[in-house]
Formats: sequence, structure tokens, C-alpha cells
Amino acid sequence: MNPAISTDIAAQLIALLAVLMLVVQLLLVVQRMLLTSIRLFAVQSMFLAGIAAVVAFFHGAMHVYIVAGLTFIGKVMFLPWLLDRQVRRMRIGQEIEPLVNFPTSMLTCGGLTLLGYIVARPFTSLERLGNNTLAVAITLVLTGIFLMFNRRKAITQVLALLTVENGVMLAAVALTTYGMPLVVELGIFFDVLVAVMVLAILVYRIRESFDSMDVGKLTQLKG
Amino acid sequence: MSSTAFDFVLQTALLLGLAPLVSGCIKNWKAKLQNRRGPPVWQVYRDIGKFLRKDMVVSEHASWVFSYAPYVVFISALLAGLMVPMVSTQAPLSLFGGVLALVGLLALGRFFLALGGLDPASAFGGMGSSREMTIAAIAEPALMLAIFTVALAAGSTDLSHIVQATLGPAWSLLNPRHVLAFAALFIVLLAETGRIPVDNPATHLELTMIHEAMLLEYSGRYLALMEWGASIKQLVLMTLLVNVFFPIGLAADASPAALGLGLLSYLARLSLVAGVVVLVETANAKLRLFRVPDLLSAAFVLASLALFSTFLFQ
Repeated sequence: MNPAISTDIAAQLIALLAVLMLVVQLLLVVQRMLLTSIRLFAVQSMFLAGIAAVVAFFHGAMHVYIVAGLTFIGKVMFLPWLLDRQVRRMRIGQEIEPLVNFPTSMLTCGGLTLLGYIVARPFTSLERLGNNTLAVAITLVLTGIFLMFNRRKAITQVLALLTVENGVMLAAVALTTYGMPLVVELGIFFDVLVAVMVLAILVYRIRESFDSMDVGKLTQLKG
Repeated sequence: MSSTAFDFVLQTALLLGLAPLVSGCIKNWKAKLQNRRGPPVWQVYRDIGKFLRKDMVVSEHASWVFSYAPYVVFISALLAGLMVPMVSTQAPLSLFGGVLALVGLLALGRFFLALGGLDPASAFGGMGSSREMTIAAIAEPALMLAIFTVALAAGSTDLSHIVQATLGPAWSLLNPRHVLAFAALFIVLLAETGRIPVDNPATHLELTMIHEAMLLEYSGRYLALMEWGASIKQLVLMTLLVNVFFPIGLAADASPAALGLGLLSYLARLSLVAGVVVLVETANAKLRLFRVPDLLSAAFVLASLALFSTFLFQ
């Protein structure tokens, strides 16, 4: 294949998958069913794994394949399975009304996306950067943080943390083209994995002690 | 000039003939997917034929608006359909403003549909009209923004030009702003055609109905026109979706071979979209009415992001 054309295709594919990640993120903002949210997160991670695979394939970077594989096993299969089991065990299907209502939070996230695009704009002229992948990565981090403090259920907050991490990984994989050193990526990956497992246990404990996952109740003292 | 007239006749015939078939196919496939036998695909033609033969009962409180509304709804949908390229890249009718006129015609139809619901002073009709307008208030801007995104990329608001511009390099179809606009337009399609997350086309339950509530007082010929008009509007929106975003195989000239190929590819893409609609309808439950703005605000934000990203990366 002609190298110029193949780079072009790679850039298009990465931009497309990145925007799909953004779309899933925005759907996550207006989703109130916990199980569907977990599935949406799995889909978003699958797009991330796809981006890693595209980068690995078109730039011949072998260790990025490992990142893609780990993302797939960890974030598409294992973590959703873990959270899924957690939600089923606690028998809570729905998120309660968030602090900011859904249309407003959707518009807020639209604004945050715009902010992400504007912040990323000076960098888009740099060599080799996927045209708006950086913007999407920044947006994922911003909307993830927004989602984290907007929702009251601890499980959704864990999911929000995971989407923030997806944003960081997206920036790491797509923007540096050859990825960061493998050790760093493995470090981030296992960090999050362990964090989520600990959080899952913590959520269960919160639920046991307070009969609710509403983190607003954590301010009450328990004798 | 004769080829223009031919286009005109061909597209009118296609719109009139194909629209009930698409509705019938969706009904039939949906039933099949849910392990029911379902009505045959031509049931909608039979329904319309039967309505046309039946007598009308008109409320004594109804004014002239009630009897004009079906004609306006039907003709505005048909005119809007003539402005969208269907089989060839050239649409037979191109009014001032192109896309704007299209959205305006659809809005005109909706306005008279709502008036027709209000006019006979039945409680359900007014409720349906109010709901329809609530939904349209968010769905319409999303529709406009999504089409403007494509129009900006093509540099023209004329739909024929837009289609010709997107026919170019195949990779531009995967452009991020196209994806965002496509997602927004698909949600708008579900809302505007009264499909399941927004409205249930198969029920007359008073708590949920929107479109059916406005048609409750209509009967006979008027009801036939209303139903036919609604199915034409659905076909127009689907055509917009398949031809603006995936104009593969559209006839560039008026030769019979090119037209035949264009028709085949058009039907294939149309049935694909209909299939996706069937899947969405089967996999989802109807949203509560007060949740519908959540979904539509998602469409609105997607469409505005599509538009903004066009400007940010010029």
C-alpha cells in the first residue's frame, strides 16, 4: 500500500473511533440505567482498543498491540463483568436524579467539549497529531470529572473515573504515535485495575453500612 | 426539459408508491423479529384504500382548518420529498434556500397537523398537539444543525449540490463531523416519525400517544391523506439520511441503466435504515414523555458539536 494513503486512512480511522468514543461519553452522561452505563463504558473501551490496534498496525509498533490487548481484556471484558456482578448483587438498577438535570448536564458537556476543542487547537498544527484526537481526549477527561461529581451513586462515579482514564490512555496512545514506554502504560493500566477493584469492595461496604450507594449520605455519622 | 418532467413524474410516483411500502415493511419486520406473524407488507396500501372509500364523520365544532389540514400535510410532505434527490443526484424540485425550504415545508406540515388536532376541540387532540410541538421544538433545531453541517462542508444549501459533493472521495464519509451529524439526524428521524423511544406507532393508549392523538377525530378520506402524508414524511427523512450521508451508486445522468442501478442501491440502503429502525424499536422501551427531551437534547448537542467542529478545523 502507498504509505501516504495508508497514513491518511489511519488518521481518518483514528479520528472516527475517537469521535465515536466522544459520542458514547455523551450518551453516558444522559444514561440513568446502571447496567446500560456499564455496557456503554465497555463499548467506549472497545473503541479505545481499536485505536490502539490501528496505531500499532499502521506504525508497526509491536508493544502497542500489547496495550490494545490489555485494554480489551481488562476494560472491555473484566472490569465491566466485575461492575456488572456488583450491580446485580446489590439489585439497584437505576441512578437517582443527578445534581444537575439531564438536559442541562448534556448542554454543559457540550460546552466542555467546545472547551476541549479550543484548548487543543494550538496543538493541532503539530506534526503527526491525529486531527482532533487530542480534543477528544481532553473532553473525555473534562466530562468524566463532571460526571463524577454530578452523579450520586458510587458505581457511576467509578465508571466516570474509568472514562477519565480512557481519555488519558487515548492521549497517550494516539498522540505520541508510538505510545508511551510500555512500562508506563502497564503501570497506568494495573493502577486503574486495582483502584477499581478496591473501589468495588468499598462501594459494597458503603452499601452494607448505609443501605444505599448515595455518597451524599456519607456525611452522616454512624454510631 | 422533458427529462426534468420525467424526473418529476418518476420521483412523485416513487414517493407515493414507496412510502406505504416502507411503513408496511417496518411493521412486518418488527412483528417477525418479535416472533409474531405480523400484517403483510402491503397492509398499509389496503388501509389507505379502505379509508379512501369510507364516509367521513366531522365534528360539528370543527372549522375549515380541520378540513384543510390533511391536504396541507399531504402536499407539504410531497413537495419536501421532491426536493430531496432520491434515485439520481438531481432533485426534480429546487426551491429557494434548498435545505431551509425543506425544513420549512416539514414545519408547515407539522403546524397544520397540530392545528388539525386542536380544531375539533377534543381533549386528546389538544394533548397530542401540545406533545408534538414540545418534541418538535427540540427536534427541529437538531435537524437544521445536522443538515447545515453537511451543507457547510458542501458549500451549498441545495440538496443536489450537497449530494454531489459528498459523492466525492469515499474516505470523507468517515469524517468525524459526518458521524456526529448522522447520529443526531438518526435520533431526529426516530422522533419525527414517532418511533419507539419517543412515540409508539402501534398503540392508541392515551398516556403515551402523540401522533395518533392528533388523528383521532379524522376519518375516511382525510385520515387516508394524513396517514399517507405521515408515511411520505418518514420516507423523506429516511431518504435524507441515506442519500446525504451515503450517496453510493446514485445515478449521475438520466440514462435508464444508471437510473436502474441508482434505484437498486437506493432501495438497498433504504431497507438497511428500515432494518436499523426495526432493531431500535424492538430493543428499546418507550421513554416516559418527560424523558424525551433528554434524548432530543442529546441529538441537539451532537448536531451542534458537528457544526462547531466544522468551524474549528477549517
